[in-house]
Amino acid sequence: MEPVIDVVNLSKAFGPKVVLSNVNLSVQEGESLAVMGGSGTGKTVLLRNIMGLLNPDTGYVSVEGKVVQKQDRAGLFEIRQKIGMCFQMAALFDSMSVEENVGFALKRHTPMTKAEITDRVDECLTMVGLKGCQRLRTSELSGGMKRRVGFARAIALKPKILLFDEPTTGLDPVMTDVIGRVILDLKHELGVTTITITHDLKSAFEIADRIALLFHGEIIACQPPAEFKVNPHPVIQQFLRGDAEGPFLSDPPPPKRSMNTVSHQVSVP
Amino acid sequence: MPDTTAPRPSLFINFLDRIGRLVVNFLSDAGDFAVLAGRTFAAIFKPPFDTPNLMRQFLVVGVNSIPVIVLTSLAVSMVFAVQLDFGFRQFQAEGLASQVEGLAVVRELAPVITGLMMAGRVGSAMAAELGTMQVTEQIDALECLATDPIHYLFVPRLLASAVMVPLLTGISIYVGFWGGYALLVGVAGQSPFVYASDFYKLLAFRDIRIALIKGVVFGTIIALVGCWRGYRTYGGAEGVGNAPTSSVVTSSLWILISDFFITKLLLV
Repeated sequence: MEPVIDVVNLSKAFGPKVVLSNVNLSVQEGESLAVMGGSGTGKTVLLRNIMGLLNPDTGYVSVEGKVVQKQDRAGLFEIRQKIGMCFQMAALFDSMSVEENVGFALKRHTPMTKAEITDRVDECLTMVGLKGCQRLRTSELSGGMKRRVGFARAIALKPKILLFDEPTTGLDPVMTDVIGRVILDLKHELGVTTITITHDLKSAFEIADRIALLFHGEIIACQPPAEFKVNPHPVIQQFLRGDAEGPFLSDPPPPKRSMNTVSHQVSVP
Repeated sequence: MPDTTAPRPSLFINFLDRIGRLVVNFLSDAGDFAVLAGRTFAAIFKPPFDTPNLMRQFLVVGVNSIPVIVLTSLAVSMVFAVQLDFGFRQFQAEGLASQVEGLAVVRELAPVITGLMMAGRVGSAMAAELGTMQVTEQIDALECLATDPIHYLFVPRLLASAVMVPLLTGISIYVGFWGGYALLVGVAGQSPFVYASDFYKLLAFRDIRIALIKGVVFGTIIALVGCWRGYRTYGGAEGVGNAPTSSVVTSSLWILISDFFITKLLLV
């Protein structure tokens, strides 16, 4: 079966810094892939190449058999209408209300009437647990709410593919869990193919059918969560332990200090 | 290890290197601007036509700028009338003041003052708005929602600016007439009937046409430079801070340069 997203021999460098080196990934229809890796390893660059926001130095990305890098603007926009992109910091249009943000693509790309758009916006906001927030300005939203409005905006056009760029970064553990559940709900309700960039191991193991790990610009593993967990690769095991000691960091970490118990004595006169 | 034995380039080579970089950067910027300007003109007639967005820009660029244009035009026309009255009084030729006032206001002061004020008020706002959208990934979000940022952001601003700046130039001419009137009639004691007929004495319809053409060109420069500087913003808060400054300086410079060429070409 032809993969929905096929990343083939993708390499990308910014000046002398090689960010992605010969990356190969295939995502099947309805599959959920989590891409993990340290900060600055090129996870977001990978998503931007899939969306056609960046052009690779070598290699290509194909979405439903169409090579993104070979498309003209019209072809690229046609592909992008099939993909919903959820940005790390939501990237909501701050001059618009929540309703205008979610209904933006519907207004521009569909012949829907105003009432139909209002209904669809309501439906999308309900899916992400934000029913009744239509009239709010984006400045009135919390971090978690912004992410969810971003999700609602991404699913408005009923895309076949959803890309999440670090959807839980900077959120408290409870909101992280909420976002994880919203992603799972979207996956099951819409049956979409998803790629999620995340640092959060708990979310990744919950939402992913396969987990890939980017290390020094290369995919060093891409396997189901159960297999990923027991992969003996020292980098993977260090990443799962969350330990500073090991091959994961290029520069040696600062020495670990022993935590001395400090007692505060209160003198009573 | 860097090669420490290699001879250091002379000051002259360094100077040439720096000049070369400046030239390359200038040509690169000019090319980038030309490409984006071309894409903007090409996108004007492409659907979808976002009328509410366009109307909002007409309001922001045109209607909201009326107070600042009225005040600056009034101030400039009055101070110019003071200078003319004082200058011509030296030769007992006070009657010429209203004629020259009319000539200066219609041909130069109204279009240039309107252009420069709009570059400061509207061009800088466009650069700051698009710059903020760029660094907060809102422009990437537009791309991902299959919307061409040039079509959605540049085109309404260009149309609003190219239409409203000449209209504001017209308002500036009208206000300039009354500014001169207040000074030359109200203070210097000229006859209001003589002032009203002398103001237009040295002018022809061609002068109004040239003023409006200047307005269209200045409006186009303001919108394209403001949007371009905003669109190419990088580097977070510092970049967003630099974009309006750079936009005002660049568009003011081009307004003055194009003013010379338009005047030279059309005033024959």
